[in-house]
Amino acid sequence: MSGGGSISEAAGANHPASRADKSTEFWLWLDDVCERFGDRVNPILVKETRQALKSRQFVVTFSLLLFAALAWTVAGSLSMMPQIYTTPSAQRMLVGYYIVLAIPMLLVVPLAAYRSLEGEIDDGTLELLSITFLSPKQIVLGKLASASLQMLLYFIALFPCVAYAYTLRGVDLPTVMLLMACLLVAGLLLTTIALFFAPLAVSRTGRIATLLAVLLILVMAEYAVAGLSISLILYGNPLTTQWVSFLVVATLLVAMTTGYLLTSAAAAQLTPESENRSTTLRLACSGLSATVLGLAAFAVWSLGDDSQAVLGLAGVSLLMLWTLAGSMMAAESGAMTPRIRRELPSSFLARMFLTWLTPGPTTGIVFASINVIVFGVTFDFLATEFRRQYGVVPLGPRSPDVLRQIIVLVCTYLIGYLVLVRCVMVVVRINNHPRVEIGIAAMVAVSVLGALVPYSVGMHLNDYRSYPYSPWQITNWMWTTNQAVDGSLSGLTVSLIAGFVGIGLLGCVLAAGHHVLPGRIATPDKVKQELARG
Amino acid sequence: MNAAIVPQPIGYHSGDDDCIELRRLHRFFGETKAVYDVSFTVPRGHVFGYIGPNGAGKTTSMRILATLDLPSYGDAFVDGLSVVNDPELVRKRLGYMPDSFGTYRDVNCVEYLDFFARAYGLVGRERIARLDWVLGFTGTRGMAEKPIRGLSKGMKQRLCLGRALIHDPAVMILDEPAAGLDPRARIELRRMIRDLADRGKTVLISSHILTELAEMCDSVGIIEQGQLLATGSVDDIQRQQSHQRELTLRILDTAAGAAKRLETVESVSNVILDGELVRFAFAGELRDQASLVAQLVGEGFAIAEVTSHKKSLEDVFLQVTEGLVQ
Repeated sequence: MSGGGSISEAAGANHPASRADKSTEFWLWLDDVCERFGDRVNPILVKETRQALKSRQFVVTFSLLLFAALAWTVAGSLSMMPQIYTTPSAQRMLVGYYIVLAIPMLLVVPLAAYRSLEGEIDDGTLELLSITFLSPKQIVLGKLASASLQMLLYFIALFPCVAYAYTLRGVDLPTVMLLMACLLVAGLLLTTIALFFAPLAVSRTGRIATLLAVLLILVMAEYAVAGLSISLILYGNPLTTQWVSFLVVATLLVAMTTGYLLTSAAAAQLTPESENRSTTLRLACSGLSATVLGLAAFAVWSLGDDSQAVLGLAGVSLLMLWTLAGSMMAAESGAMTPRIRRELPSSFLARMFLTWLTPGPTTGIVFASINVIVFGVTFDFLATEFRRQYGVVPLGPRSPDVLRQIIVLVCTYLIGYLVLVRCVMVVVRINNHPRVEIGIAAMVAVSVLGALVPYSVGMHLNDYRSYPYSPWQITNWMWTTNQAVDGSLSGLTVSLIAGFVGIGLLGCVLAAGHHVLPGRIATPDKVKQELARG
Repeated sequence: MNAAIVPQPIGYHSGDDDCIELRRLHRFFGETKAVYDVSFTVPRGHVFGYIGPNGAGKTTSMRILATLDLPSYGDAFVDGLSVVNDPELVRKRLGYMPDSFGTYRDVNCVEYLDFFARAYGLVGRERIARLDWVLGFTGTRGMAEKPIRGLSKGMKQRLCLGRALIHDPAVMILDEPAAGLDPRARIELRRMIRDLADRGKTVLISSHILTELAEMCDSVGIIEQGQLLATGSVDDIQRQQSHQRELTLRILDTAAGAAKRLETVESVSNVILDGELVRFAFAGELRDQASLVAQLVGEGFAIAEVTSHKKSLEDVFLQVTEGLVQ
């Protein structure tokens, strides 16, 4: 028997003839190495690979891919005869190969990963998995690894065709490599998105809705990535080296941090609520936020005045991130299980800095607020730096003070509305046990009502005629921000809003002191012994 | 998982011999009390039958014990470890066989078991040895290479038991393992469960087939509408419920006279004469029963046989669950 042994040995333990097939020592050694390798990789990957190699979906997709690649090689080459010998013909061939490869990589594999995780939930096998030693994160990463392996197989299968296209001249090697890298990164990111959506819905209707959402995202991404890639093949790369470098770095970093956030979120959905599901997600959000801000800073210093597009995109995406993430943090349950309390920070410094990472709505609001303030301050700093370097205020406002006022207003409103979401969730939680996603609905409700109610009251008091802005409209974030953009908002109003929000945040923290300063409890000796024993 | 978590004080069950402990377990689904204040213990190496009608709360409490659900209040312990606070340590000791069989497409039996062995952290020779043992114990070696889809219900149940056993757990939780099995498969399952108990494993098993449970269980718990009505051995529960026992005497020649005599005894009721047999209900302890028989013999009645009728688990179940919880 080889060192690791194989499952066929267990299955055929009473059939010694089955071992006689392994005729040479080399094969035994190879078998041993493979078994040892198999013991170290994620069990989900082993199982999914076994399943995939026998599944109709993989066999059909792989066969179709090979057939399509072969057909295009023959048909494409013949259609370009005899010019193929004299003129560069790689572009046309590469477009065909790209389409053949992109469909399984950007559509079939992510959808299969979605179905695989959803199937585990539907068939009840996820419960069987969740009582094994596999963590939810390992389950999600196993699915991702399995999808990556399939992508790699498709990639390898089509590699000779791409090499053939390259030999026909007309596309340079960096473009081909950029194309393949884009496809791989897009495929992995889309698989991660699909895995994030898989455990999201519980009901049948919800499942259908998430499936439709995933399909929509995949089709749109396929269209967008195909558009960019085909333009790149046909018209070449119009960007400067600096922009290409920036885009490559930015794509990789954002894909990695977003992927980490999404896999953590998918794993959190599979984790029982007695465990700490929040800290990893908070760190992932902060990581993504820091990455985006870092990229914006990199853009300001390296891309010239074109970088204001990056600055604007970074601002909008971080605003969306913290609106969604902050709303969900504010909607977390305030109950803290003994299991979580065992892992709380205990030293003075750790409690000062790490308490905001512990689960709970109040710590969540404070954590989100800190991140929003960091975002605001950094954004203001980058805008100032941009103006200092290029002599113009970025993103359109007429003066730096106006831009600063807008940044302060946006951050203040976001924090203020998070406090309101927390208040709403306190009421909702009296007789219910809602999911954290309800926080987003609460955020939509309070932000719409916050703008609509004072505006409607003002309209009524003014006999439904237009009326000028007044401080009574301070909860109306749309009108107030619009006033700031016009440069007609007084500093006093901004201070008033910031003051109210500060008091609200402080009140929120003080009203939940026991959530903010939770006491750590000891881990029982028996558990310590068990953990030490591994 | 939408249980409203109520933080519990940390506590570990005191008895070293109790392998499973449910302590004031509650589980609410909205207004529905699926499990309400259920507490019991199961000693190490015992087979405990969990009995109750459909929707009584058996599966819910077993799922909590298997770390698949969380209690709304209370806690459950396996080997002194809380299922709420230390689920990963509990899982090392626990094998769970649910009432539904979760299958994977395009996987054969040995691949299925191999996957779960890997998921339980078994590697190399240990994994192969364990797979071999499980295939042998559950009698699934002959179908190791068969796809799971083509298996009969009985074979699937064996495979599911094998999956629950793959990491050699100390505690087995079996939810309706005999449901839908033919008599031969049920007998074999019963043999396997008894075998597991003999190997020192603690088994918590639920079933609707009470005769099966009566033969394999050391003790039972009867649950109805989320509340535990009785626990203990069948005899204990019977004694808890009633002090009456049914006796039959075979009396030669003078059975009618003996029946008349018995009707005069205060602790005797429902006397029925059937040829040489006299059946009656007797309220009293075993010593009182012996005195009564001795008295009858002393009075010249030729008693050839004394039979005490033990109530079946079905009788006990019907007696205990009959309208006790509204």
